[in-house]
Amino acid sequence: MLTINGEPAATATGTTILALLTARHTPIEHLVVEVNGQIIHHTDFATTTLQTDDQVEIITFVGGGR
Amino acid sequence: MHTPPVIQGQAPDQVYTQMKARNVTASTAKLSAAHVAIAGAGGLGSNIAIALARIGVGTLTLVDFDVIELSNLNRQQYKLSQVGMPKVTALKQNLQEFNPFITIHAYQEKLTPATISKYLSSADIICEAFDAPQEKAMLLEAVGTQFPAKPLVMATGMAGIHSANTITTKQLRPNLYIAGDGTSTGAKGLMAPRVMIAAGHEANMITRLILGKTTI
Repeated sequence: MLTINGEPAATATGTTILALLTARHTPIEHLVVEVNGQIIHHTDFATTTLQTDDQVEIITFVGGGR
Repeated sequence: MHTPPVIQGQAPDQVYTQMKARNVTASTAKLSAAHVAIAGAGGLGSNIAIALARIGVGTLTLVDFDVIELSNLNRQQYKLSQVGMPKVTALKQNLQEFNPFITIHAYQEKLTPATISKYLSSADIICEAFDAPQEKAMLLEAVGTQFPAKPLVMATGMAGIHSANTITTKQLRPNLYIAGDGTSTGAKGLMAPRVMIAAGHEANMITRLILGKTTI
C-alpha cells in the first residue's frame, strides 16, 4: 500500500510527484518530498512516478523566522 | 579555544570556569568541541546563536545576507544602535560580549544549493533559521542530498499569539528535526515570545545532539 505521511493513500501507481502535489494547495517550492527516505529534487518532480508500496513523505514549510 | 586577555580584572581561565559552573555536568568539554552552523540570523538564528554561545558551543558559523532594520527589533536580538549593520556582523559582536571564549565565523552571504557546501560542510550540526518557506525547503533538499549524515535542525510555524504549547519538536527521520507548530505563517505577525520558543526548541535539540542524545 502506498502511503503519504504515514497514511494509506489511494494515489494510483504511475502518478508523478508533480501531479500528486498539484492536487494539493501548497506552493510546490514550499515542499520537500521524500520517497522511501530519499529526497526527490524539485527538478525531478515531473519525471518521478510513484510505485506500489512507496512511502511518500511530504514536508511542508510555512514562513516566519528570519 | 580562543582565549581573550584579562577579563574584568580576572584571569581568563578563572572567568571561563565560573561561566560554566552551572552547565549540566560533563557537558562543557563536548559543547566546546562542537561546531554548529546557523543558516539565517533573524528571529530564530539570533536567539539560537545566543543560547549556544552562552553555554559555550565552541565554534559557531553564522550565514545571513541581510542588514538589520527597525522592523526586526520586535523579535530579533539586535539593538537600535545596530540598525543598518549586517546581521552577522552585529550578532558576532553581541555574542563576543556574552562569551569571548568561542570562535565565530560570520559570512554575509545568501545561501544557495551551490554555496551550502562552502559554508556549512565543516559544521557538525546544521541549524535552519530562515524566514521564507521556499528557503527552508531549499536548505532541506540541499543538505539532505549533499550531507545526509549531518544532523539538520529546522523550524516551521511560530507566528501569531497561539499557545506556546502548540510548538513542538518532531523527528521526521534520523538526522532531521523540525520544531514549530507547523502551520502558523508570518503573515499573522511575528513576535519575540513565540519566535523565541521555536528558537529554544531548536537550540535545545542541538544541545541534546551535541551531548549524544538523538531523541526529541
